[in-house]
Parts: sequence; structure tokens; C-alpha cells
Amino acid sequence: MPSRPPVRPPGTRGRGAWRGYVYVLPAFLVYVAFAVLPALHTAYLSLFEWDGVTLGEWVGLGNYQEILQDSVLRRSVFNALVLVVFFSFVPIALGLAMTGLLARYRRPGMGAYRFLFMLPQVIPLVAVGVTWRWLYGDDGLVNQAFRTVGLDGVTRAWLGDFDAALVAVGLVGTWVLSGLCMMLFLSGVQKVDPSLYEAARLDGAGPVREFVSVTLPHLRGELAVAMTVTTVAALASFDIVYVTTNGGPGEQTTVPGLLVYRLAFSEGKVGLAAALAVVLGCLILAIVYLINRLSRTET
Amino acid sequence: MPKSTQRLCRRIARAACALALVLPLAACDALTPGSTAAVPGPRSVPSSTAVPEGDVTLRVQFADAPLMVDALIAAFEKGHPGISVEPQYKTFSDYVQNLKLTMTSDSAPDIAQYAVGMTDLAQDGHILDLAPYREAYGWDESIPPVSLDQLTAGRKSEATGGRALFGVPAGLSMTGIYYNKELAEQAGIKGPPRTLAEFEEQLAAAKDADLTPLGVGALTEGGLHLWAALLNQLMPTDDYWDWVNGTKGATIENQAGITASELVVEWSRKDYYHESANGTGQIDSTAQFAKGDSVFLINGNWAAGQLATTMGDNVGFFPMPGENAGAPTVASGFSVAYAVSSRTEHPGAAGAFLDFLTSPEAGQIISDNGFLPPNPEAVAKPEGVLADIAEGHRRAIADDGITTFPDFAAPAMLDRLRSGVQKLIADRVEPADYLDSLQDEWEEHHAE
Amino acid sequence: MTGAMTTATRSERWSGYGLLTIMAIAVVIPFLSVFLASVQPAGTPVVGLTWPERWSWDNYQQAWSVAGFSDLIRHSLIIAVGVVPACLVLAALAGYALGTMRLPGGNAVAAFFIAGLTIPVELIVVPLYFDLRGLGLTNSYLGVILVEIALFMPFSVFWMRTHFQSTPQSLVEAARIDGASSATILLRVLLPLARPSLMTLGLLVFMWSWNQFLLVLVLIQDTTRHTAPAGLGFFVGQNTTDIPTLAAGTIIVMLPILILFVVFQRSFIAGLLQGAMKG
Repeated sequence: MPSRPPVRPPGTRGRGAWRGYVYVLPAFLVYVAFAVLPALHTAYLSLFEWDGVTLGEWVGLGNYQEILQDSVLRRSVFNALVLVVFFSFVPIALGLAMTGLLARYRRPGMGAYRFLFMLPQVIPLVAVGVTWRWLYGDDGLVNQAFRTVGLDGVTRAWLGDFDAALVAVGLVGTWVLSGLCMMLFLSGVQKVDPSLYEAARLDGAGPVREFVSVTLPHLRGELAVAMTVTTVAALASFDIVYVTTNGGPGEQTTVPGLLVYRLAFSEGKVGLAAALAVVLGCLILAIVYLINRLSRTET
Repeated sequence: MPKSTQRLCRRIARAACALALVLPLAACDALTPGSTAAVPGPRSVPSSTAVPEGDVTLRVQFADAPLMVDALIAAFEKGHPGISVEPQYKTFSDYVQNLKLTMTSDSAPDIAQYAVGMTDLAQDGHILDLAPYREAYGWDESIPPVSLDQLTAGRKSEATGGRALFGVPAGLSMTGIYYNKELAEQAGIKGPPRTLAEFEEQLAAAKDADLTPLGVGALTEGGLHLWAALLNQLMPTDDYWDWVNGTKGATIENQAGITASELVVEWSRKDYYHESANGTGQIDSTAQFAKGDSVFLINGNWAAGQLATTMGDNVGFFPMPGENAGAPTVASGFSVAYAVSSRTEHPGAAGAFLDFLTSPEAGQIISDNGFLPPNPEAVAKPEGVLADIAEGHRRAIADDGITTFPDFAAPAMLDRLRSGVQKLIADRVEPADYLDSLQDEWEEHHAE
Repeated sequence: MTGAMTTATRSERWSGYGLLTIMAIAVVIPFLSVFLASVQPAGTPVVGLTWPERWSWDNYQQAWSVAGFSDLIRHSLIIAVGVVPACLVLAALAGYALGTMRLPGGNAVAAFFIAGLTIPVELIVVPLYFDLRGLGLTNSYLGVILVEIALFMPFSVFWMRTHFQSTPQSLVEAARIDGASSATILLRVLLPLARPSLMTLGLLVFMWSWNQFLLVLVLIQDTTRHTAPAGLGFFVGQNTTDIPTLAAGTIIVMLPILILFVVFQRSFIAGLLQGAMKG
């Protein structure tokens, strides 16, 4: 987005310039008090061993060390990264493929499709989770579909299967986020000057080359956004996992969000939970930073 | 993307450095988490049975046998028109997962079912010591003192000087095996097995008859009940108690633990469980059993009321048999007991409700729902599957064989057990490694 | 265009629509499956996608009364009604100052807000519980409302700032020359123009507030005060076997936001797409 530098209105030099902060202050205070300070407080708590009730004990970076050593905690971070594949890579790939196929023509009747594709975005993830929990169940739609095509052998309770559970949870994310990615890219393509396509076509470019040389370069901003949004959704996932598998079977679908909740509030390991939350926050920040960095250097 | 992000990141990094410098300095006592934790209120109840006049609402939160609790409440309210009781039911895993949050919050229910974590809560004064009521209401007369002594949280009462009391039992639970009589007959199974080996033969017979032998709701607690039921037959009861109670030097890494875990794996290899056991919750496996999906089902007596209603005479129950026919009956069980929050404004009314639980009228309701009432002589003889359970209870108590659940060993043990048994069922872990993970959790919790 | 080109176009066009339709079906089928399950006679075993032999709406009544959805939905609304106007007012004020005035360090402050877009609930929820409990703000809608406002503030401020940056500066100048104070400019000149932006923001904030789960799960322990998604989360554990009732409950929780989405789809979609792009 082009952001013009605001024109300096006359008479707002010097001390008077600060007066504008009166408008910012209320938002600033709420934001700092209920989001920024708690985040810093989390970092502080992560340096203690604390059960949430009795006096805590200063352990420095001990909790972080435990995250490195404990197999369950490490596993949860690994699972979150696997989810990134399904929440981010697959939807983006799908979205790009669709965009490549649809980019060249203005299409009437997109309104209805747009409505449908954005639908999974607006409903509560808990409801999404409950829905898929049933679809993946013994008598669910997924098994019904396999039985219909004669593949009775592969039917199972997908969320209880060691090999399938994480993929199954990941595909729920794919279902939720694919539409968003696709709509983002399609709306980005609308901004491309149609004459560019005509020029490419006159040069004899096929759909693939056209996509690579015309469509893709114009979608850099949208790509960065899609990656950011979907990656954060994957790393910070909680709702879907909580209602579908609650982390099981074994630790196959345990994600950091779930462990933060469990450790802090039912296992009495508040410091460890805080440390895991900090790791999660840093991971998200690092990835967001990286995506922005990359999307800019390519310019 | 905003152009300012990069600048911002630099800023954040700078702020973080500054913070890192300040924090250790700030880590003085006043800022140490927990230093300002308010004492929630009185630690013990008054020593009178007076119930204050006026309308009172008690909130009861619980995880077992909603039908039974509803019936108990209805009967209690009839006798105490001024007091209304509002039941708040949660599933067991939701309940345990949130128990600490719930009981330390300002909206803690007045009365809550006793579960893992209550020991810690008792220690920190979040639930009331009921010892004064024990004397004032004369509970030692109406309840076998043994059941009350399960609920001392290992503490002495500050109010009476005697043993503390953090809950009143409404009935004893017990895990075991339900069986579908029609299906069992189809598979040529004649009556409950007398030994573990005989039970294995019956499972094999069911398999041969093309039936699903054993329903296990391993997505939730079903798996750990199965494992514990086997462990109970193989591990000396005293050693097991030491482990659950956190006695110094106790361990689960022994031959009995290995054998029990291996049995869980072996039965899985032989396809004795429902194919999707790991994806099926306890509630679901029970419903499937009721529909006739499996010959046997591992569950607890809390399901008896429901199964008796849906299956009538077609269902029976037996405790997991021991290695030989003369072995004592050992089964996991615990008093379904209720504790009182120290945040309650109505300790008098709560006391009246708890006292009602010890009455013969309540005992009848408890018995009708498949639990062993605190005073079994006072109730009518149960029938059908309820009679099987009462018989199991009688034998287990006579053999001093009601052991508590293994997840009581540490607050995080439930998750370790659940995921561990899931791995056993999926044949994804060596029994020794599974036991090792349990013992790690145990040692971490009992380190002090 | 040559004739060959046009035929290629046509086949491409149809294949494009074909693919779109396949994906649309993939989106719709789960909803359809839940909906059909929710109208099966109560307690019947349901398999996948089954057309009900007898349409039964009793499950909705059953779910409504068993899970107490009228209360749950009321609580969700209480929170949303607290969050949405506050977000709009605070964000409009801050966005106005950050977007149209040259504040010393204004860009840094804006960046400070934007940084909050990356804060996951997990990062703040642990100390929030203990801090708010100390203030008596757990189990209170006020506590949830304040935290949600703070969580949505980064996006809201950014959204309004971008909006005010794109309004013609000449409008502000002209009003200023007429001697209008900064407050008058905002109220009389800019806000009337900002109505569509505010509306879209309001819808998005409402949606996020309605869908929030983890925060409510932790901050509201009293199950009788839960919101609709949290209520559904607990309902699921208790009713896994009664699929029709569970499905009905799921639909009930989705419905309010679905209705809003249908009515305001243009604003919603524009908000979600542009919002993502701007953020």
C-alpha cells in the first residue's frame, strides 16, 4: 500500500505537535496494559519455577533448557512446524495454481464463489473443529467416501491413528485457509494491467510462462501476506487441536498452544508454560520478520 | 506490509536488551510470582450443624454420573426447601484439566468433586477442612471411617487436631469389565472368567467368532483403566499404593509394569480392541458397547446406570480377574467424594448437602446408579448388572483391594498415561520406555 | 483474435469454472454434512452424508436447552457489544492522530501498534489469568472485553490510520482554515466519510470477538458464564455419541456469524482481504 507522508499541517510545530497524542493515548493505554505488559510479564514468569500458587523460585533460563531437553515439548514445536506445511504451503500452492488458471480472464459470477471460499474464514474455529471431528470419525464422511469407492481397507478413526492424525488436523487448516489465499491472489491479479497479458500472449507465452513472468511478480505483496497470516495461524493453533484430538494419539498432534494451556493451568508448571509461550512468540516474530525481509529484498 | 516493520524489529531488539538487563535486578522477593497470593479464606468449617435461614444456592461441579447427581440434588432439595443446588457437569478430562483454575478462581463452585490436584489445593487452603463437621454431624457413625481416611490429603486438622477431612464420599467407584451376555454366548463364553488367562481365552474366542472382543475408549481415559486393571493383578498392592502416594523410592519400572504393558500391546497385536480404540472416547466406546459393537468393555461402575437402562438383563460385570483363581480381587477405584471450596459463602448449607449424602435415602440413589454407597447395608439389594458390581465391590473391599487410580500419582500423570497407553495400543513404544516416561514425571513431581 | 485462440479460451474458461466448482464443493460439503446430521431424528446413528428420511428440527430445541445456548449466545453478545464500540472509538481516535497529524515519533508509535499483530493469545494468557484474578477481573465479562480490545487494537488502529491517510488532506486543510479545532475536524468532516471503513472494522472485530476461544476458556472458569464457542467446546465432550444434537449445537454457534456474513458479505470480504493486505 502506498502511504503518503502526511502533510504537516500549519501550526503544529513544536510543543503543540504533542497534543495529537491525546487522541492516541486511550488506545495506547489499553493496548499496553492488556497486551504488551502481559507479554513482558510472560517473559518474566518464564524465568521462574512456579506452580501458580506458592512462592516461585528463580531458575534463570532453566525452563528454556527444559524445552530443549523435554521430548514432548520439542515434539510440540516440531508438530507446529509440520502444521505450517498444511496451513501455509498447501493453501498457497493451491491458491497460486487456481490463480494461474483463472488470471487471464475476467470472470462473471465470481461473487458466489467468493462468498463460499471466504466462508470457512468467518465461522468459529471451534465449530470447524467439531465439524471435522465428526467428518473424520468412524461413521464420518471421510470413511463413507472411501467405502463408496470400495476402499474399505483404508477406513479408520483418522484422528486416533498415529500416522494420520497430524495430517488430518493439518488438512482442516488447509480447508480453512485455502479460500483466503486464493481470494487474496485473485484480487491481487485484478490489479495487473490486462495489456501485460496480451503482450505476453502475443510473444507466444503459454499459460505457464505467462504465470511465471506476469502473474507471479505482481503477487509478491499478496504472497507475503498469505504466508504471514497462515504461518501465524499454524504456529498459534489451539482451538482446532483442542476440540479434535486434544493432542493425541500419543503426542502426535500436541502443539505448543495446547501445552501452554495444560502446563500452566492443569499441571502447575507456570514458568515452563511461560517459557514455551515466549519461544512460540519469538518463533512467530522471527518468521514474520523473515517473510517481510525476503519479500522486500526481491523487489 | 508496513515499511516500518524493519525499524520496529530493531526497536524491539533494543527494548528486549534493556529488559534483560533490568529483570534480574527486579527479581527481588516482592516481584516473585506467588508472593502476593491471597489466602482464599477460612481453612476450615465451623463446628456446628446449623444451616442459616434464607434462600441459598449451592453450585456443585462434578465429572461422574450426572444422572446420579441430578437424583441426589432433587432428593436433597425436597428436604431443604431453602437451599437450591445447581449442578455443573463437565466431562472427566475437561474437569481435571480445569480443576485448579476453577478452584482457585473467585467463582469456584461451592462444592466440587474430589479429584487429582485436590491434595495440592487442600495444602494451599483452597478447599475447606471438614473435620469439625465429621464430629458435629457424627459422620464416623454413618460412614465407615476407612472411607473418610482416604480423604485426609495426608494432613492433620488445624481445627480439631485429629485427621483432616477434605471431602465426603458419596459412593465408591471401581473399574472392571462389562460383558454383553448375548454376544458372549454367541462366542461360546460361559460366565465371567476366574483367571486372567481364562479372560484371554475368552477374548480369543470372541475374536474367533468374528466379534470385536474388547471396547476401549483410549482417546480419553479408557486405555489407562485397562492398563491399571492389568497392573493391579500383577503388582503387589502395597507397592502400587507407595507409587501413587509418592513414597520415597517407589517405582513403576518393574516386572509387573512391563508385563501389564506388554499385555496391552499383545492384545492390540491380536486385534482384540476395536479398530479405532485410540480415536474413540470413553463415552463413545460405552455407547458402542451398548449397541452391541463389542463383547467386553473396560469401564467403571459410573457407566452402570446408563448400561442397565439401555441393555437391561443383557449386560454383566466382573472385576479384572487375577493371575490365579484364588487371587484377591483388586481394582482401581476411588470415593466419588465432594469437597467444599474455601470461597463458599454457605459452608452451613454445603455441610447439610454433604451430610445428606451419608443418609440412607441418598445411599439408595447412589446404589441405584451402580456406586457402592458408604453404608451398603442400609440400601435395598441391587439387581442385574448393579448386583454384579455390588458383588465386585464386596469382594474387593473384603480383600482390601480397592486401589486408587494411577493418575493420582502426579498432576501431569493423566496426560502421560493417556498418551502412553495410546502408544502401547498403536505399538509405537517399548513398554520399558513407556514406564520410564511415567517414572520421570513421578520423580519430577515428588522431587522435593 | 484468431478462431483457434477463442476455442482455447472457451475450454480454458470451462476448465476454470470446473475447478472453481470442485473447490466450492469441497468447502460446502462439510457444512452440508453437519446440517444434514442436525436434522436427523435425535439419537439415530448417522453416517457421513445421509439424506434424512424424516426431517426433525427437535435437535435444535434439544441442543438449545441442554447446552443452554440462549445464555451462551447472550454472553457472547455482551462481550461483543462491549468490544466493538470501544474498538471503533479508540481506533478512530488513534488512527486519526497517527494518520493525519504529524506527531513526533508518530511512525514509531504506529509501528509499535502494528507489532501487536503478531502477538498470539498464548503469549499473554498465562500472566493475564493471574493478574486479572488479582484485580477480580476473571469470570467477568469486563476482563475479557478489555483483553479483546487490546488484542484487536493493533489491527484496528492500523486499519483506521490507513483509512485516514487516504482521505484527501485538502478536506482537513480547508476545515482548519475555517478555524475548526482538531476534534471538530474529526467529528464533522472525517468521521462521516469513514462510515464504510468503520462498518467493515466493526464487522471484523465482532467476528474475532465472537470466535475467541482460548481467552474465554482461561479467563472465564464459571461454566454458566461461558460464551458460545466455549460452551460448544464443553458440549462436544458430553455429547459425542448423539451426533444430531451435537451437529445442531454446532450450527447454532455458527449461525449468528453466518447471518452477518450473508447480509454484509461485501464489507466482510473486502475487510478480510484488504485487512490482510494492509496489515
